[in-house]
Formats: sequence, structure tokens, C-alpha cells
Amino acid sequence: MNPVLRWFHQLGSPPYFDRFAARWAPWGYGLGLLVMGVGIYLALFSVPPDYQQGDSFRILYIHVPAAWMSLLVYVLMALYAAIALIWRIKLCEILAMACAPIGAAFTLITLATGSIWGKPMWGTWWDWDPRLTTQLILFFMYLGVIGLYHAIDDRRAAARVASLLAIVGVALVPVIRYSVVWWDNTLHQGQTVSVFGESKLHASMLPPLVWMVIGTKFWFAGSLLARARADNLYREAGKEWVRKLATGKQRSGSA
Amino acid sequence: MPEMTYAGYVLAAYLVFAVVMLWDFVAPRIRTRQILRAARLLAARRAAAAAQSEFPPQ
Repeated sequence: MNPVLRWFHQLGSPPYFDRFAARWAPWGYGLGLLVMGVGIYLALFSVPPDYQQGDSFRILYIHVPAAWMSLLVYVLMALYAAIALIWRIKLCEILAMACAPIGAAFTLITLATGSIWGKPMWGTWWDWDPRLTTQLILFFMYLGVIGLYHAIDDRRAAARVASLLAIVGVALVPVIRYSVVWWDNTLHQGQTVSVFGESKLHASMLPPLVWMVIGTKFWFAGSLLARARADNLYREAGKEWVRKLATGKQRSGSA
Repeated sequence: MPEMTYAGYVLAAYLVFAVVMLWDFVAPRIRTRQILRAARLLAARRAAAAAQSEFPPQ
């Protein structure tokens, strides 16, 4: 069998996944912290203040990567949910459900930091602007998935119901992405940074953003593995391998 | 070094980011520890019950 395919099959085994997650989650967190640390240092001490916004624009170095992550995590959650529903892969159920609190955390950061930036720049903490409103709905979608998953005792049934909500909610992602284009009277600014086209952000202000975007990805990988590991252990709580792990007769992190 | 404008807002935003990230780091760790502790206690209870059925009290 192809080694990559075999590895995917092995990952579906709960004890194997536990060892894998225990081994690699700290690396995700560690690399995330390191890369974000560099990004935050550059954001606060290296780049010059904006000629109009002064230093308040430094908030955008956490706001923008968090906003991108809030959308990316939702798409990933819906993808895992679809795979879990179609092929009944338990690990994908676990990964989809593990995405929800991380996505909610990034959405919360987006809303809070946007609000903090908005007060001095727009003169208000909040406005029912299309981008802000749709982002708030995304936060509620995440909470809905988390709530549904914890409302039903049978973990597999709960994951199936919550997965459906996750898949339905993915329609919101393009609405958020294009809200600044589709609505004319929006307070939120349009697209500033473009991956493929020309960015409106000056090149000297770009490096901290790149560091933060990469750092949040590593952090997400670490968090996803840690949360999926916890859920995997919970589902397998009565099994022999969990008992051995709990009583120290089996070491974790050796995958 | 020139004084930062809107320093309070910048600090508050980064503080929110740090607090949420810290929660994201700590929450799964606490959960994993709770699950493993429950499994350890269950194993101890089962071992005690097995020992008692092997040597019933006189």
C-alpha cells in the first residue's frame, strides 16, 4: 500500500491519532507563538505609524489575520463536516467539531479588535454595517455548532446534526467576503491586501502581516490537534488504551 | 522613541488577542487532563471492585 495512504488509514485509529496529536500539537503552538511573536514585535516597534490613522492601524495586524482565519476555519469545518457525513469518517467528525471553538475564538478577536479600532477611527464601537453584521452572524453560527454538538449525549448523532449546520452556514462565507463590494453604503473599508493583485498597503507595512498570517496558521494546527485529541479521548474514555494512558502504562506522543 | 498615539486602544486590542489565545491554549489542556483523571479514577474503582470480588470480606 502507498505509505501516504497507509498513514491516512492509520490516522483513523483513535490510539494512533492520540499519539500523533500529542506529539505534534506542541509544535503547532510553539511555531505559532514564535512566528506571531516576530509579527507582533514588527507590528508594534518596526513599522512606521500611518499618516492618517497614527498608531491605531497597528490593531489591524491582529484584526486582519484573525478575520481571515475566522473564514478559513469555517470553510475547513464545513469540509470536514461534509466528509464526515458522506463517508462516515469519525476522525473528520472530531476535526470538524474541534474547528468550531477555534473559529469562534478568531471571530471574537475580529469583532473585538475591529470594535476597538472603530471607536477612535469611526467614532463608534459598533455599526450595523454589512461586513460587521455578517461577521457577527458567523460568530453565532460557530456558537450554534458548538451548542448543538454539546446538546445531544450521543456524540456521533450530535456531530451529524452540528455538521449539517456547519455545511448550511458555509453560504455565509462569500457573503462576508464580498459584503464590502455588494453593498455600496458600507462603513467598512474595501479590500486592502490582495494575494494575487496589487495591494493598497505600502510594502513597508506588509511584513508583520505576513508573519501574523503564517503564525495564526501554525497556531490553528496546534489548537486543532489539541482539541481533537481531547474529544477523541472523551469518546474513547472506556477503552483499554485510554486506561493505560491514564494510568501511565502507555506513553503519549510516540507516533 | 516617539510616544504612541491611541496607545490605550492598541494595548486593549493586543490584550484581547492575548487573552483569547491563552484561553485557546489552556482549554483543551484542562479538558484532556479532566478526561485522563476520570479514566484513572474509573480504573482504580474497577481494580478495587475486582480485588473485593476475589477476596470477599469475611
